[in-house]
Amino acid sequence: MKRGTAIQLGTYGIVCLAFLLVPSFVDDAFILNKYARYLVLGILAVALSLSWGYTGILNLGQAMSFGLGSYCMAMVLKLRTVPVHTGKAGLPDFMVWNNVDTLPWFWEPFHSMAFGLFAGIAVPVALAALLGWFVFRGRVTGVYVAIITLATLVVVNLMIIDQQRFTGGFNGITDLAQLEIFGLTFDAYGSSSYYLIAAALTFCLFFALAVTKSKAGLVLQAIRDNENRVRYFGYDVAFFKIFAFSVSAGIAGIAGMLYTIVMEFASPTFLGVQLSLSVVIWCAVGGRQSLLGAALGAIIVTGMQGALSESETFLKTWTLIMGFIFVVVVLFLPKGLAGVVEGLSNRVFGHGDSSKPEPNIVPDSLGAKSEAESLR
Amino acid sequence: MSKNGQEHLVLTGVVVSFNGFQAVDGLTLKVSKGELRCIIGPNGAGKTTALDTICGKTGLTAGSITFMGKRIDNLEEHQIARAGIGRKFQVPSVFRDLTVHENLEVARSKRSGVLANAFCFERDSEREELEKLAEFIGLQECLEIPAGHLSHGQTQWLEMALLVAQDPELILMDEPTAGMTVQETHKTAELFIRLKEKHTLIVVEHDMGFVKEIGDVISVMHQGKLLAEGTVEQIAEHPEVRSVYLGTGGIGSA
Ligand SMILES: Nc1ncnc2c1ncn2[C@@H]1O[C@H](COP(=O)(O)OP(=O)(O)OP(=O)(O)O)[C@@H](O)[C@H]1O
Ligand SMILES: [Mg+2]
Repeated sequence: MKRGTAIQLGTYGIVCLAFLLVPSFVDDAFILNKYARYLVLGILAVALSLSWGYTGILNLGQAMSFGLGSYCMAMVLKLRTVPVHTGKAGLPDFMVWNNVDTLPWFWEPFHSMAFGLFAGIAVPVALAALLGWFVFRGRVTGVYVAIITLATLVVVNLMIIDQQRFTGGFNGITDLAQLEIFGLTFDAYGSSSYYLIAAALTFCLFFALAVTKSKAGLVLQAIRDNENRVRYFGYDVAFFKIFAFSVSAGIAGIAGMLYTIVMEFASPTFLGVQLSLSVVIWCAVGGRQSLLGAALGAIIVTGMQGALSESETFLKTWTLIMGFIFVVVVLFLPKGLAGVVEGLSNRVFGHGDSSKPEPNIVPDSLGAKSEAESLR
Repeated sequence: MSKNGQEHLVLTGVVVSFNGFQAVDGLTLKVSKGELRCIIGPNGAGKTTALDTICGKTGLTAGSITFMGKRIDNLEEHQIARAGIGRKFQVPSVFRDLTVHENLEVARSKRSGVLANAFCFERDSEREELEKLAEFIGLQECLEIPAGHLSHGQTQWLEMALLVAQDPELILMDEPTAGMTVQETHKTAELFIRLKEKHTLIVVEHDMGFVKEIGDVISVMHQGKLLAEGTVEQIAEHPEVRSVYLGTGGIGSA
């Protein structure tokens, strides 16, 4: 194993361990719930880092996968509240108010917890694979991918709001039961939920790290760098992109399910444009080409947002401050906070470029056409 | 003409038209297994476009291409690559953000499926192989440097090493020695002669000294058509070739 990889594994391990130790020091249920929420958003940022940072697919609709995961979990937990928040025949309360008299067919399987957990991952993955199939087989790239993913998000969001009878519309799905599996109850304000989420973040980080360290992950990075060149080595670029896009959607789906657990409801804002764009900001701040950086970016930004918006002094100006920080990071730290840390550790430990011979940088005299031109 | 008596790559009446302009105009070319074919011709003759059609970058307007007996002109780029055709482009195109070592690892693509490569990590024996390759092209000190930091000459070498790592049956090279010093050109010729043992090569070149050093059969292209084909001596004698190259100092001294 390369030394760089060992250091990276160590860093990931230490940070995850630190997250897992938090409940030993915090016993305020409200604060613990807030931290759990930040960690969930960290998982969402890991998902985007995988597709945007590693593969170059700027998915502005990442919240779609997140929201779908969240609704799947909410549907399961809603049906668990029978007979408290239900009408006749065990219908969810909002359906009763909307004059629905039988449970729609697509709600039926959510009586099963196993199905709900499966669907929370499978539905976002299937949708991403389908969308990816059209987009990437059609060789749509760059900003058009961003536009298509954003548009899809808006459509799905509007459909959920529009189908109030089956989805709860603007209100979303509220008054849920607590998640219970293997005899464990996950109370949104208890440490059990926090541990579940910290463990999920650890799992997602290491899983995504394994993907990026594999040969397939390397090909993904090559695609980000020079997509056309990759084809001439025999790799089916579209399938690699669909793979990255779908894995990313699956991770976002997991995050969505966990978000329902800590928030105790699902809402159309979980598939909102605002959340979707926020993920991009977290990744940019933390460093999109680092999975851990993206996760920490999400935690730091949302944490600061929370702290600023709650404090009296910044009540009116906090959005301005956040905007300013974002602009500064994008302008001066192209690799985000992860890039800063990497630079510092290279100086301290002396590994990285300094130990290598100076690369021989000679101006390209011939064939100095731009990279973009080369393979058009 | 075919050394091993086997037609490896056959272009038949290939036409490529860009908005009515025929960049390649009825090109017919046969290359046999194990051959090192040079293609020369003045600027704009359609040499690069001809290579583009073989590797699937540019579609044909008319004609057909077969490789090892199979039609390949209707395949996608990655399918053509899997069939055993590798390409070096005229303009340097490596993965600039990836290290030299990572570039080579991507190029080694015998196993090209997504799931076959998910959770598959480099083995020590594979790494040693790539290290040897890097040593051969003089980049052993640069393995962990991003390819974007290499000099122009080093980038050219890396590109050729990528093809060695890819190990395709047929290698297409577009102006491999452009911008190289005399020694580098000489070393490239050595590499090609080594590659010739196991691969079929098609090399587009302007440097006649280089062509003389490596070439078996030379094809001359002009205005999208095949003008002449033969050994270096035959080509140099050819009256039409002489007239095309007139004013550029003649083929012998180019
Ligand atoms: N995509 C394109 N669209 C329009 N015209 C093109 C395109 N690609 C090439 N051409 C034209 O086709 C002709 C042949 O180009 P090609 O690049 O194949 O020549 P070449 O023999 O490789 O020349 P050089 O020695 O300069 O590399 C040129 O006149 C060029 O301008
Ligand atoms: Mg050319």
